[in-house]
Amino acid sequence: MEIDREDGRSQNQLRPLACSRNILHRAHGSASWSQGDTKVLAAVYGPKAGTKKNENPEKACIEVIWKPKTGQIGKLEKEYEMILKRTLQSICILTVNPNTTTSVMIQVVNDDGALLPSAINAACMALVDAGIPMRHLAVSICCCVARSGLVILDPTKLEEQKMKAFAYLVFPNSVHSVLPEGSPSVQGEPIENGIITSVTHGTMSVDDYFYCLERGRAASTKLSDFLRRNLQQQSTNSSKAG
Amino acid sequence: MEGRLANAWRLTVNDKNFIKTALLSEIRIDGRKPFEYRKISIKFGREDGSSEVQLGQTRVMGIVTAQLVQPYRDRPKEGMLSIFTEFSPMADPSFEPGRPGESAVELGRIINRGLRESRAVDTESLCILAGKFVWAIRIDIHILDNGGNLVDAANIAALAALLTFRRPECSLGGEDGQEVIVHPPEIREPLPLMVHHLPIAITFGFFSNESILLIDPTHNEEAVMSGRMTTTVNANGDICAIQKGGGEGIPQRVIMQCLQLATSKAASITKQIKDAVEAFNTERALRKIKRHPTSTGVDVREKQNQ
Repeated sequence: MEIDREDGRSQNQLRPLACSRNILHRAHGSASWSQGDTKVLAAVYGPKAGTKKNENPEKACIEVIWKPKTGQIGKLEKEYEMILKRTLQSICILTVNPNTTTSVMIQVVNDDGALLPSAINAACMALVDAGIPMRHLAVSICCCVARSGLVILDPTKLEEQKMKAFAYLVFPNSVHSVLPEGSPSVQGEPIENGIITSVTHGTMSVDDYFYCLERGRAASTKLSDFLRRNLQQQSTNSSKAG
Repeated sequence: MEGRLANAWRLTVNDKNFIKTALLSEIRIDGRKPFEYRKISIKFGREDGSSEVQLGQTRVMGIVTAQLVQPYRDRPKEGMLSIFTEFSPMADPSFEPGRPGESAVELGRIINRGLRESRAVDTESLCILAGKFVWAIRIDIHILDNGGNLVDAANIAALAALLTFRRPECSLGGEDGQEVIVHPPEIREPLPLMVHHLPIAITFGFFSNESILLIDPTHNEEAVMSGRMTTTVNANGDICAIQKGGGEGIPQRVIMQCLQLATSKAASITKQIKDAVEAFNTERALRKIKRHPTSTGVDVREKQNQ
């Protein structure tokens, strides 16, 4: 089954990725992530002293502020903040700096589909830029299910609206292990197969969902490679020390 | 937030004295002369009406959107222009999310006065059907990085976004000509806004020593200075607005000096904005010609079962 995508991509093809870190001067860490025309800017301040009232002071706390491109902040933005906060809480090592707050600010520069995955990727890169201790990186991808049952990756906004259902998936990044026993595994499965976050819209069958997961996992390997190249390149160029 | 005292950033006494002493010899800590502007870079996003301006370390994004609304009853033939400023907490650790603080409101008001009350944007051309439908232009200003002098940068961002914004064309239809049909951009080319002149905001900083006067302060200098004045002038030499809210008292001759300086700076900044907009328009026209996709994304193959 072939599907004609407007920009000529195949069903497994992602849009061109671009990422730059350390773009803001006041923020402790910042990153700009763009997938095709979707562009998101993330900034991190932290760790700052003190936690908010309802948070556990024995652990570090992550606060997310989502700023849409235009308009008032509504329920959708609050939902995105909550999803992002929980995703980042699961990848950061919260016991290292107890009783602190790390603020992550997301600014939507342009929304052309797959906004939440781009924001998660940008936030992850900004946390790396700020030097916040993390267990592993989070790699996020959007898969959608067409009416014909076909699964396509990284839709544009028009494609998202036309599709039957879509899912935002977040995986840990793939591991290059030098140990003889390979990458760490949990209950027999390698750690990169785990799903950190999954948000779906629309209805899809169970088989479709598992198919999405498989495709998403394959894509996450490619994204992890991109992240690794990007981080290694920039770490040799600039240092924020001093 | 009560527990987050780490938000407040204070300049040390030594830093303050250093800046003041250097200014007595007309030296600024970033190497500029007292009446020199930082480097301005104006970039545009993919969509019409979105601009990103960098003034030294200050970074501001401007977004323009339009909506059809009912006009005010006392002004049935005029469109509306509103400016929303967001001091995003990513720009400065002391900016709190939520309600805009007084500096955010002041910034919005200065830009508002410069654009709306000086009739820089023609609001009568925004009227489609008198008394029923007019275009309401909304400018959102997002401050991304606070390196000082947010007013000037935000003003340039607003102007750049306005100049590249295109509103959809609409025509009257229906049985009695009372319905408005908005044509999508693919069918009819959207129209630019009518901007008569470009009001440029220029900010001056005053210090307790009367002989020190500087233009375009950085955030270090803003923490030291004892008074500020923002003059909005256009390249024709018209004064659109002057804002001096409290602070150090300034003699009249200094104000005249500032206004003359502002007019000369406004001319060069206007030229920069116009050049950037020209370049963007040419690029946009070229983009319209090439219709084949140029994306060469990453190809992901399915994992084969081992």
